[in-house]
Amino acid sequence: MMRQWISQIGLVIRLEMRKTFLSRRGLWVYLLALAPVLIFLGHSLSEISNRKERQAMNAAHPVSTAALRSITRDMTIEEVVEKLGPPFAKVEFHRPNGSFDSYQYTDGDNVFGFTFRNSRLVGINERDRDTIPKDSLIFAGVFQFFYLRLAIFFGCVGVFTNLFRGEMLDKSLHFYLLTPIRREILAIGKYLAGLVATVVIFCTSTLLQLAALSLHFTGSEISEYLAGPGWGHVASYVGVTAAACVGYGSIFLAAGLLFKNPIIPAATVLVWEGANMFLPAALKKVSVIFYLQSLSPVVAPPDASMPGLAKLLITAAEPVPVAWALLGLLTLTILVLAVAARKARKLEINYSTD
Amino acid sequence: MNDRIVLDNVSRFYGEVLGVNRVSLSIPPGITSLVGPNGSGKTTLMNLITGLVRPTRGSIQVLGISPADPERLFRVCAYATQFDSFPRGMTGFQFIYSYLRLSGLSHADCQRTTAFAIGRVNLGEAAHRKIAGYSKGMRQRIKLAQAIAHDPRVLVLDEPLNGLDPLVRAETIALFREFAAEGRHVIVSSHILHEVDTISDQVILLSNGYVVAEGQIRGVREEMSEHPMQVIIRCTRANLLASRVFEQDHVVEVRLHADGGGLLVKTRDADRFYRALNHLALDGVGIESVAPADDNVNSLYEYLIGGEESTR
Repeated sequence: MMRQWISQIGLVIRLEMRKTFLSRRGLWVYLLALAPVLIFLGHSLSEISNRKERQAMNAAHPVSTAALRSITRDMTIEEVVEKLGPPFAKVEFHRPNGSFDSYQYTDGDNVFGFTFRNSRLVGINERDRDTIPKDSLIFAGVFQFFYLRLAIFFGCVGVFTNLFRGEMLDKSLHFYLLTPIRREILAIGKYLAGLVATVVIFCTSTLLQLAALSLHFTGSEISEYLAGPGWGHVASYVGVTAAACVGYGSIFLAAGLLFKNPIIPAATVLVWEGANMFLPAALKKVSVIFYLQSLSPVVAPPDASMPGLAKLLITAAEPVPVAWALLGLLTLTILVLAVAARKARKLEINYSTD
Repeated sequence: MNDRIVLDNVSRFYGEVLGVNRVSLSIPPGITSLVGPNGSGKTTLMNLITGLVRPTRGSIQVLGISPADPERLFRVCAYATQFDSFPRGMTGFQFIYSYLRLSGLSHADCQRTTAFAIGRVNLGEAAHRKIAGYSKGMRQRIKLAQAIAHDPRVLVLDEPLNGLDPLVRAETIALFREFAAEGRHVIVSSHILHEVDTISDQVILLSNGYVVAEGQIRGVREEMSEHPMQVIIRCTRANLLASRVFEQDHVVEVRLHADGGGLLVKTRDADRFYRALNHLALDGVGIESVAPADDNVNSLYEYLIGGEESTR
């Protein structure tokens, strides 16, 4: 019997793949997955262009990093120019409290801005080039606050709610229900089909995002990173992406079975997941995002623009160890899938009211 | 009883709306027609038999199998619904093959069986075209092919003759007869009475969710003894025959044909009438032909539901 069920699950997956994986209807999911890749690609291309520009400036106005770092406050414009030579950019402006000059230098990697008031140095601004640790934090922020909470979330809404609801709208679900297959097996088959589709789409996107982000680093920088925590981070991000599809997939499969309009449960779950950071520690655990954050390799910094009061409301739940996070997520998923399978068992075809 | 489809006091409500009410049936093999106007409960009854909806009350057994057990039921049963919709992007062959695979047949068996089923409905040339490009009649046939593909013992078909041209209709009816002759169940629904009148072994008449009559068409007809049966008699001395016939206490009405060459008799007792007619024939009334005027589903149906429902 088990062999037959496994075979039927495989057949449902194949059938679903043919029907939905490469359908035009799912195009927006691909675009959603592609969006962060484009963001990081844009960032890298911009960084590459900036670096070329800085190196060209440095060639025209050569100056060493050591010389730049030797500049101290209260030095005069003449002293600075004597040490560093002429800047690649110079701006002069007047304010009520004095006359200001801004001199820009670069060592090819970093940009130094020196601000003079009445010809005396009052401010040094160093804009470092992007480094892997710095970009790693940017990636963590985008991954947790956009990719997990929005892109994968809505991608799963689109894919998983349509597995049953879409076929009800197309009036073609009955073909499945008229075959010798247990409804629970059908639900599992459809879930796994959606999972394969979303894992392939979103994990590919995660890898492409990391590749796009690393484009502007040199080979040696990347090798050094990969020799350190790099491969672990890559594996973790791909794993968290897959785990997000597992968790959100089960919720939206159930939503597609339980609700006629899945937008309502999707909005409710979105609010619940979004409010997760404000929830008491015990309630945090009844969410997918809590486990995903515990599994994420880099902790995303809190949003700097968050109001102080909101920061006070944030309750810190201890991130759970990876094994517990996986166990918690799987338990949540199995419970939700059990509800979905039970609903599938009692499913009736009444297209006129669906 | 395991060769029967048994419904025991089955009711189904959609909220406040009645689907079917207190239906008890024991359907033997053969061609059974569910007849009734739109909204009479035909589709609900078929959906109940195949487990697409569940009874609010009562129980159903299809050859001893509960419709709540699709794993067993759909090895012996098939249902071609009225829905004119199909999975997107599939050819006729892919459509039948894909769902047939779920029965557990091997790839090779499925390919062979699919080709055979498509051949039986004469869609061989269109098998590898997208269903979206099929005509209404072709879509009806591909649904039928899918239903018969796994060689079911119970074939449930909702309005299967809709959209078929006369030739295909005749072929399809022949297929039903072939199935029935093999001792299988063929349950068809229709609101076009004359099309099931000629093909059915038994009929179930539905009105407003109730079964108003069931059984063989003649048997049902005889059960309703208070419904006068109409007989047309063509003869040379119609006036004389009319006066003699009207003397019989079971005859309720006699109408002479306008041409004076025949009459229509309404009787409450067909057997006694035919016996009496044998005697009357000896009186030299010149009987040329005798034919029942209304021994068909249509007249019976109109009678049973009071002649108010619209039928075609």
